Amino acid sequence: MTAYILRRILSTIAVMAMVGIFIFLLLRLSPGDPAAIMAGDAATPQMIAGIREQLGLNDPLPVQFLHWAVGILGGDFGGSIFTARPVLLLISQRLEPTISLSLLTMIVSVVTGVVFGMLAAWRVGGVFDRTLAAFAALGFSVPVFVVGYFLIYWFAISAHWLPVQGYQPIEHGLRLWLVHLILPTAALSFPYIAYFARITRASMLEVLSEDYMRTAAAKGASSYSMLFHHALKNAGVPILTVIGISFAHLISGVVVTETVFNIPGVGRLVVDAINNRDYPIIQGVLILASGLYVLVNLAVDLAYTLIDPRIRY
Amino acid sequence: MIISRRDLIKTSLAAGTAASMPSIIRAQTAPTATRTVRVVKSGDLRVFDPIFTTAGISAEHGLAIYDTLFSLDSKLTPQPQMVGKWSVSDDKKAYTFELRDGLGWHDGTPVTAADCVASIRRWAEVAPGGKLIMARAQDISKKDDKTFTIALKEPLGTLIDLLTGVATPFLFIMREKDATRPATEQVTANIGSGPFRFNEALAKPGASFTYDRNEKYVPRSETSDGFSGGKIVKVDRVIWENIANQQTAFAALRAGEIDYQENLSSDLYSAVESDPNLTLQLLDKSGYVQLLLMNSLQKPFNSVKARQAMLHLVDQEACSRINTPDPKYSSIVTSMFGNTLYSNDENTGWYKKGGDPEQAKQLFKESGYAGEKVVILQPTNFVGLSNVALFLAGALRKIGINAEVAPSDWGGVITRRSNRGPVETGGWSIIVTSVTGATLAEPLTTPWLTAEGDKGFTGWARNDEYEALRAQWGDTATLAERQALARKMQRVWWDFAPQVVLGQGVYPIARRKALTGLIGMPIALPMWNMQKA
Repeated sequence: MTAYILRRILSTIAVMAMVGIFIFLLLRLSPGDPAAIMAGDAATPQMIAGIREQLGLNDPLPVQFLHWAVGILGGDFGGSIFTARPVLLLISQRLEPTISLSLLTMIVSVVTGVVFGMLAAWRVGGVFDRTLAAFAALGFSVPVFVVGYFLIYWFAISAHWLPVQGYQPIEHGLRLWLVHLILPTAALSFPYIAYFARITRASMLEVLSEDYMRTAAAKGASSYSMLFHHALKNAGVPILTVIGISFAHLISGVVVTETVFNIPGVGRLVVDAINNRDYPIIQGVLILASGLYVLVNLAVDLAYTLIDPRIRY
Repeated sequence: MIISRRDLIKTSLAAGTAASMPSIIRAQTAPTATRTVRVVKSGDLRVFDPIFTTAGISAEHGLAIYDTLFSLDSKLTPQPQMVGKWSVSDDKKAYTFELRDGLGWHDGTPVTAADCVASIRRWAEVAPGGKLIMARAQDISKKDDKTFTIALKEPLGTLIDLLTGVATPFLFIMREKDATRPATEQVTANIGSGPFRFNEALAKPGASFTYDRNEKYVPRSETSDGFSGGKIVKVDRVIWENIANQQTAFAALRAGEIDYQENLSSDLYSAVESDPNLTLQLLDKSGYVQLLLMNSLQKPFNSVKARQAMLHLVDQEACSRINTPDPKYSSIVTSMFGNTLYSNDENTGWYKKGGDPEQAKQLFKESGYAGEKVVILQPTNFVGLSNVALFLAGALRKIGINAEVAPSDWGGVITRRSNRGPVETGGWSIIVTSVTGATLAEPLTTPWLTAEGDKGFTGWARNDEYEALRAQWGDTATLAERQALARKMQRVWWDFAPQVVLGQGVYPIARRKALTGLIGMPIALPMWNMQKA
């Protein structure tokens, strides 16, 4: 097991290196000049040329790559071309909002989605199952930003119960933190609840028709015991796989929600950096995101062993 | 270990109290809501150094934290600001400036003449106005801690105007140790002598920037007037919130989470007007002029006939409706000087309501147009300009021109615009852009009003007769002289037609009625004088 984990962590480094090279080349070969953007609309060609020289953008690509790669190996992700702030500082400022939103969304989505899916499977074809099917169709088809605007209109503008936008760090107080995350979490959870509910329902239906479930019922096991102890544990592997993949997607895909609710997260940091051609930020975030993606998948693989003792690495 | 329910509750309460401690402390030290103004600007502050960039948002940042030697009043006339007294010799060649009392940097040190001299030199590395001063200057030096002089080789009638102008970069005075850096190296210290201090600890690039009142700032005794007069700060803090989504920003304005919003989409004007707590206010009456620039180095616009064809083809009313749907907020522009003090009707016979496609078709034919591809750069992240680009492509196709659009974000557009080659090698034919209306009154410093050929600004049109006239602008001394010169310049300008005007729009801001005292000026919002009920 230890050897397996070490192997996976080493592969993470290899993946990050490949992502680094790919992203570096992609950014440099795509159109756009940070010096021209920095200098502004009325800048003279001489002004832009001076900034390019100052930023080292005229250096050959291998030299630029070497500077960056050496920095990364020493733990220095460089500074923003525009604000000169360290990339790691900028990312760390944006990490808390994104992680808060993603974690809350996952907790709400997993708890609600799995419970809904189990209940629908338990009474398959019933009113709840059919209602859930309609809810799931809605969850898959209505974009998150539409849900977001509806929630803002109802709960922030009309009722004045919750703030329209913004984020308060947890150090400003738990209540403030939570109050600012309720609407974005609700909007972002909508499709994930639908997704997890459908996966759980399908997985549970398969397990519920197994012989050992009939045996458990014949032995007089309670509904609770049958659902949670016998069925859910055996249906858990596909559900966990989907949750793991969704979490990785969620972290990289919260940008729409961050924009609608003005949450200063990593997603918006990257979008702004792409618009500005702020190469060090884009490279830094993507390198870290690729590492995170691989680690989440590793965590999911390890969690299989807890659910299914037959799985060994 | 067994944890009892009571222990769990006690631990949770203690943890909750601990977690909320910083907010309790902050509540005791942060300014109250009525002393804090939250604004949403039209863009995101990306570059702190207002000399390093020509971006308007950086000029606004500069206006808050730095001070200027002279400032424009509401009539756009220069008035002394940091300067207490100034004089010019009888032969108009020697200027002496004495700083007023009470000027100090945010780090506690006093502002000196050496700071001013270094700042002028750095600004002159990049600003066209500064370059002109340096070309005429024999010497710029300090006489003592409060006095400096500019000695000229020959008189320059517009010297004070150049030191004050609204074309970015503005001349902001920085500390000598910052101003001795090259202008191509960004100053990020954010230490000025202006009425606001930049709060570095609360700076979150891309999210929000905080400006605190500079308690030690000594304002001038005169009444506040435009950028000039006494800069009296009536709030403790102004926060620039970067809300990228307009709908979200407007919802926040309605809910009272912000006090002021720029760059409001015109379809939201009626919603503002129907809300009893909100109002629209037109602060920048000069607004923005939309221009069509042509690549004069390549076919077909290397022919003056083809450029003149565009002058006849453009339907300003239609372009204005696309950019500024409410006619109340737009106007037609036939003068190269926009709707400024120098606006005039010289050589504007080409203008016809609705455009003149037939005349345009004829002129393209006379230019020898032979089906060359015309590429219009389409900035997709600016909806108005993007739609104008599509509209122009359609208008060109209707008269038989092989036009196509090249969509890209603004970053892509301003990178591609530096390509002078033919469209087949990544060049371009037409760019639509938007410029601050007030800058069209400054032909010496505004790049759009130059015709220096391939050494000049985007489009690279060249006309030596025009340039000779433009050079005379610096030596004019009175408004009447400049207005007369403006007519001569315009007569030549529209003959060689380096660009086409697409119309002018003014854009009101939305604010909560509780926020008052806003000063209306071009380009930048002064943050002094505003207050909240």
